Amino acid sequence: MSQMMTFEDLSTQLQEALGDAEVSVLDRTGTMDHFTVKVISDAFEGKNLLDRHRMIYQALDAPMKDGRIHALEIQAKTKNEAKGG
Amino acid sequence: MSTPIEDEINKEIATHKILIYGKGTKTAPQCGFTVETMEFFNKYGYPYELINALPNPEKRETLSKMTNWPTLPKVFINGQFYGDTDVLGPMEEKGELQPLLKAAFPDQA
Repeated sequence: MSQMMTFEDLSTQLQEALGDAEVSVLDRTGTMDHFTVKVISDAFEGKNLLDRHRMIYQALDAPMKDGRIHALEIQAKTKNEAKGG
Repeated sequence: MSTPIEDEINKEIATHKILIYGKGTKTAPQCGFTVETMEFFNKYGYPYELINALPNPEKRETLSKMTNWPTLPKVFINGQFYGDTDVLGPMEEKGELQPLLKAAFPDQA
């Protein structure tokens, strides 16, 4: 079995892919493989939700393929949208 | 040139106005996200189809390539790909989903 992801690993991989991203991570099941990630980044500006989520999946491609991430719930907002609630 | 599996998928997408590719069946869903997606559509009352993609890895792979989307469930409305409830939920909040569904089912109130 491959090593588990830490919250830090997740955040780092997303920040590397998305530049200025603010990332918060939740462990949904207590098993460290079902996560909720909330990502705030201006890299999402002008992109619809499908494409934003694709960017996040792409950034986490390796741990999703090898099973370290079994399930991922995603919220992706720009800085402006996050301010607006 | 499309492959037989692509043809099968395109036919399914064209046949069902709301189509969920998920894990398991309506009576025996095998994934929390699939259940969540069913519940999401149950409240609208429009008919939807759930196709179990779990037994067919080749079909899962083809679906992922066609949509550029790695995970299940995958939702299609009126032939168009809309991701999953993480996408549909915010669309619902913005009032974007109801018109889509109405357009998909013009004969229903």
